[in-house]
Amino acid sequence: MNLHTVGLNHDSAPVEIREKLAFSASAVPIALSSFTQSFPSSETVILSTCNRVEIYATSPDNSLNKESLLDFFSAFHDLPKEKFSGHMYHYQDINAVRHLFFVASSLDSLVRGETQILSQVKEAYMTAASAETTGSILNQLFQRSLNVAKDVHTRTNIGKGKVSVSSVAVDLAIKIFKDFSDKTIFIIGAGEMCELVLKHLVERGANTAIVANRNYDKAKSLAEEYNGKAINYENLEDYLPQADIIISSTAAPHYVIHTEHIKNAIKIRRGNPMLLIDIAVPRDINPEIAKIDNVYLYNIDDLQTVANSNIDDREKELGKCQKIIEKEVEKFMAWFEELKIGPAISQLRNHFHEIGEQELERLRPKLGEIAHEEWEHIVYSMQRTLNKILHKAAKVGKEKAKNGGGYQYVETIKHLFGIHHKDDSKK
Amino acid sequence: MITILSPIQYIFIVAVVLYILDSIWEVGSIFRPQKFSKRLADYFILAGLSFHCAFLIVVSIKSGTLPISTLFESSTFYLSLIVLLSVILKFLYRLQSLTPFVMPIVTGFSIASVALVRNDLAMTYNLKTFWLFAHIIPIFLGYASFTVSFIFSIMYLTQERQLKKKAFGPLFESLPSLETLDTLMWKTITFGFPLLTIGLVAGTVWAKTSNILGLLWYLDPKVLLGSLTWLIYAAILHLRLGASFHGTKVAIVTIVGFAIVLLTFIGPFLMGHKHGYEKRSVTLEQNVSPDDVRITKVKS
Repeated sequence: MNLHTVGLNHDSAPVEIREKLAFSASAVPIALSSFTQSFPSSETVILSTCNRVEIYATSPDNSLNKESLLDFFSAFHDLPKEKFSGHMYHYQDINAVRHLFFVASSLDSLVRGETQILSQVKEAYMTAASAETTGSILNQLFQRSLNVAKDVHTRTNIGKGKVSVSSVAVDLAIKIFKDFSDKTIFIIGAGEMCELVLKHLVERGANTAIVANRNYDKAKSLAEEYNGKAINYENLEDYLPQADIIISSTAAPHYVIHTEHIKNAIKIRRGNPMLLIDIAVPRDINPEIAKIDNVYLYNIDDLQTVANSNIDDREKELGKCQKIIEKEVEKFMAWFEELKIGPAISQLRNHFHEIGEQELERLRPKLGEIAHEEWEHIVYSMQRTLNKILHKAAKVGKEKAKNGGGYQYVETIKHLFGIHHKDDSKK
Repeated sequence: MITILSPIQYIFIVAVVLYILDSIWEVGSIFRPQKFSKRLADYFILAGLSFHCAFLIVVSIKSGTLPISTLFESSTFYLSLIVLLSVILKFLYRLQSLTPFVMPIVTGFSIASVALVRNDLAMTYNLKTFWLFAHIIPIFLGYASFTVSFIFSIMYLTQERQLKKKAFGPLFESLPSLETLDTLMWKTITFGFPLLTIGLVAGTVWAKTSNILGLLWYLDPKVLLGSLTWLIYAAILHLRLGASFHGTKVAIVTIVGFAIVLLTFIGPFLMGHKHGYEKRSVTLEQNVSPDDVRITKVKS
């Protein structure tokens, strides 16, 4: 009974390989059922996201190994093994468990601490569970991995602080304004970044947007998308006092917003704060504006610095996360070993009792006429003896399983009493 | 004269100790959230406030009037109102960052008020009149809410500085938005101002009818400073309502307003005028003359 993970991620393989081995949402159930056809009595979960493709599998027999799993990938995607096998990693047992816990906790992600992967792992598990390709082992493993991930996120700062420029901008806006429903957002120029910030703000309740662009049509199309108003680029100044948040990213080689503009605007606004975000390079907003009271100006470097320092902070939390995960990996492995010990001990018990029964059968005719009661005593005494002998072995086995080393112990017992072959044929 | 605290005052000491612990935990929970739990801080502040109120209730029952018979009592009364208001606002607005600012200040004042016991002053008039209640309670509540609005303006200016300087540390994270602070600053002032007005009017009527401050009552420093406080806050109201001003200016004027509040509250004592309070150590059971101590020592 072994646990295997074979797969690839953003680190091990380029996107050209990843996209070839990815399973689309509709292909996953098909892949799951074809997997259980190839490996009957196995349990499996397929995790396929844009950054990773992984198969988690376990089987009571020894049919699963790196090669057989690579063969499955190769057959399903109709791709020669040599083309991708160099990019694949393989983890077994404790390493497979650790890997899944790392993945679910988002420590193996491109952006560490993002929470999307957790829902993807959950999704992958649910799909496999509803396809009935999971059993007691993978159920336990995946449920634990989700709990570990939640634990890691709540007990450490791995998910704290925004790590993208647009979300940092929104975080700053949140520290200036209480809610965005009565705020006006003024977009100057139309870049992807502008739109991203606007989108985040709209998600938080903003519903008034003004868009200005040298190209009026471009302004109009962006404004329409967000229910805003497009204005003539030349009249930009007139609209500044209305704006609570200004996001600028034009291609202009000079400043678009000057100190006088904002001084005037803030006077009209009677000190109501303004947030200005300058994403353009070269800059659109005169940096002198930052000195005006109640005006808060940030440029792309400021935002990037915050994002980078948040990324650094997350890196610092890695050790803490690993500690939490390591503990949980140990707990799972203890459970897993106990799972193996259980059947081994019952095999041992059956083996002993079979011997006992054979001996009793031999003895019975030799005794001749004895009372039923006396025979009962003999049978009872035999069973007690066997149980007493087995008791210690079972107890030590369970302890070993809890503290690790259960697997070796089971093997030793099997060898000792010659039940090795029987065990394999049974499985 | 040396001072021995009366058993009742030890109740307040317990409250102060809890406030000290709370201050440590409140501030700690911002910078070391793993080490200092917010929940424990909540327990400290609630326990502290309970002891504080218990102390005031015992004092009131004993004297049969408001806990303002001595300067020490009235200071602690005022401090309890600040803590009470902060706790209400904290839970009403889910404002985690208010108490870390309030509690160190309240704790500092509490320690200072314990020091007051040493040289306490007592109220000079009959305390059981209707006018006392009409005068003191609104004014104290008004002062307490002005104090809280002062703390909001400190929070506003702190957050404003951090936004300007681009210093985004744990304090930045835990403080709410400027707009929230601006609103709360405004709400606490609009809560306090009518109360101050009622208190001042009641005080004026009281002074005129009972003649306790003499004929020239309007020249009493506390009366003058009280009026100045009223004018400052009226100006703030005008800034916000009339000129609809926001932002840093309002915050700064609020701080000036609070400075006047403090001056009104303790200034007259420092200047030797004692609107209502005088040294009357006879009434203070905690003050024992050295002779008495010597006698008891000999006896024992």
